[in-house]
Amino acid sequence: MKRKLVFILMAVLSMVAAAVVSAQQKPVTIVHWYWADNPAYSAQMQKIAADFNATNGRGITVVAQEYPWDGGAYSETLFRAVIGGGGPDTSSFKLTSTPLFTANKLLVNLDDFLAKWKDKDKIEPSLYDTMRKASGTKSVYVMPWNTQVLYVYYRPSLFRKAGVSVPKTYAEFLEACKKLTMDTNGDGKTDVYGFGMRGAKGGQEPWGSFIWARGGNFDNLTTPQAIQGMQDFIDLYKNGYAPPTAPMDGFNEIIANFKSGKTAMTVHHIGSSIGMVDTFGDDVDAFPFPGGVGQWTSMGDTENILLASSKNKEAAFEWLAYLATGKGQEAWCVATGNVPVSRDVQQLPFFQNNRFMKVSIEGAPYAGIFPILDTTTEWINTIWPNTVAAALGGKMSAADAMKQLQIGLWGK
Amino acid sequence: MHRRKFSPWPYLLIAPALITILAVVFFPVLNAIFMSFQSYDLRRPSQIRFTGLANYATAMHDPLFWQALLKTVIWVAVGVGLQFVFGFMLALLLNRKFPGRGIVRSISLIPWVTPGVLIGLMWRWIFDGNYGVLNDLLMRLGLIHDKIPFLAQQSTAFPSVILTIIWQGIPFFALMLLAGLQGIPEELYDAANVDGANAFQRFFLITVPSLKNTIFVTTLLRIIWVANSVDVIFNLTEGGPAYSTQTLSVYVFNKGNTLNLGYASTMAILLALALALVAVPYLKRLFKAQEESR
Repeated sequence: MKRKLVFILMAVLSMVAAAVVSAQQKPVTIVHWYWADNPAYSAQMQKIAADFNATNGRGITVVAQEYPWDGGAYSETLFRAVIGGGGPDTSSFKLTSTPLFTANKLLVNLDDFLAKWKDKDKIEPSLYDTMRKASGTKSVYVMPWNTQVLYVYYRPSLFRKAGVSVPKTYAEFLEACKKLTMDTNGDGKTDVYGFGMRGAKGGQEPWGSFIWARGGNFDNLTTPQAIQGMQDFIDLYKNGYAPPTAPMDGFNEIIANFKSGKTAMTVHHIGSSIGMVDTFGDDVDAFPFPGGVGQWTSMGDTENILLASSKNKEAAFEWLAYLATGKGQEAWCVATGNVPVSRDVQQLPFFQNNRFMKVSIEGAPYAGIFPILDTTTEWINTIWPNTVAAALGGKMSAADAMKQLQIGLWGK
Repeated sequence: MHRRKFSPWPYLLIAPALITILAVVFFPVLNAIFMSFQSYDLRRPSQIRFTGLANYATAMHDPLFWQALLKTVIWVAVGVGLQFVFGFMLALLLNRKFPGRGIVRSISLIPWVTPGVLIGLMWRWIFDGNYGVLNDLLMRLGLIHDKIPFLAQQSTAFPSVILTIIWQGIPFFALMLLAGLQGIPEELYDAANVDGANAFQRFFLITVPSLKNTIFVTTLLRIIWVANSVDVIFNLTEGGPAYSTQTLSVYVFNKGNTLNLGYASTMAILLALALALVAVPYLKRLFKAQEESR
């Protein structure tokens, strides 16, 4: 009888163990949305997903689907998909969209996941604070992934031609824009413009550096200092130191202009450095946007989110962790040159020896973000480009333009 | 007296189509009307509530709304007007016999069959101020000495997008008017010749009156389509620079993208009403003309 009982007990325990193991190994599919700046990055993301699928050992299969960034329309596409009842389990994300998603309760609170995560401390604690601030709560809803600190690309050969040194101050920078605007073939027309100005959406990031350099900031865009920064921006265009197409130049245009030699300097981040080196080799370098009264550069951010609609949250978080501190972090940041959030990955020789990474790190202490409000997306996509275009075209004064931008962002 | 027996069959047979139209057209329209009376902004979901005519009052005081409306009037008047003129010219040409007419007829349809998004992207590069083909051509012809940033200047951006929509719409008028031209009896022209009518008289006294109904219908359709079109402008300029190319439909689209659906719906309703003001008298006149001709 006793033997029978032991046998039954062992059989029951075996069945329970098998059920647990079976549940753990139950295949799970996670759909992940992302954007990629070029086909090489896209291929890299697909490889990262494939590597994760092959090595996670928990039956998790990530299906990575690419959607275009399109100057920020990616966030709108994602929102529409999710609010409509569809969308992915996880997605690449920008902090500026956090208020929209949290207001509609679309994101998973990651606090519990982070508390149980063994690699949590591999990410700088201040980054978690930034994530909390973006949501306006004490919780983390957005998982850090990588950052991009904007700096100024320049062509050493054009600098030598113009007799200009790398500017260390804002005043020197404005002077460099003037001297680097050159007629190289003597036909009386400008062949090289000193500054590759970005007037289309996205251009608010380099523009912000001008505002802060004059002592302004984003809390009040109507101060005399902020207005002067805007005036400097307008003067660069009005005086012909930026291409005439600048009011409508977006990412593609400023990069094309720089790569074709039409501009001597332009502002972007390490994400484009690999392409720059492919085009110019050693004849491209970068410096941090110089300071004047103040100093600021945009900290581009890319995070990942876990959508509340996901039916496999545990598995989805495991994928996000892989991207944040696992092999996925290293693979993505090496391929794209983006600044890793993982402190371990930051120490790798690849990042320590990269000249653009050094400039990014140099700019990090004064890198920041725009105020994250529910007006920010419309301000970036519509109000900023159209207001600045009016100012550049002489239809609006710097003071009036800053007043419009202030009302558009802060509502008053 | 013979009484017609009621048959449910006509209603049953049109029911699937009617239900589809109700679901795809009428329900969204009713939803939009309902949203226009609400502060329906998905950025502030906790503040969604009924606000009556507040959105309509906002539109009346919104300078961008009035600017967009004016832009729409110019966009339609010039765009459709010139599409019609050039389309008519092309139709008259294609109505004549010449070698290769079949190929020319096919090629002339290309702008019409090209998707609007592709047209916007293609013309964006044609107009480009640094690398565009148009600047290159004008410089080689000696017509300009410096490249023109067509889409970056407020003075040239709107004419540029209008040129693009004219290019797109010419084949539609050409095709419809060509079909009409081919339906005009040759005997009318023979009789006119016998009476000594010149080309001018034949055109205005025979051709144009014979095409009256076709002209009415095609221009009404194009007015509605062009007024509502977003794809070409959005891919060229997104309504910039400085809102100079922002027609009302583009403003609605941009506002909708910011998720302020209540206000976007309001402007969409106002645009529909404006188009109805044009379409209703148009149709009344068309039906009256048809009645008179019976």
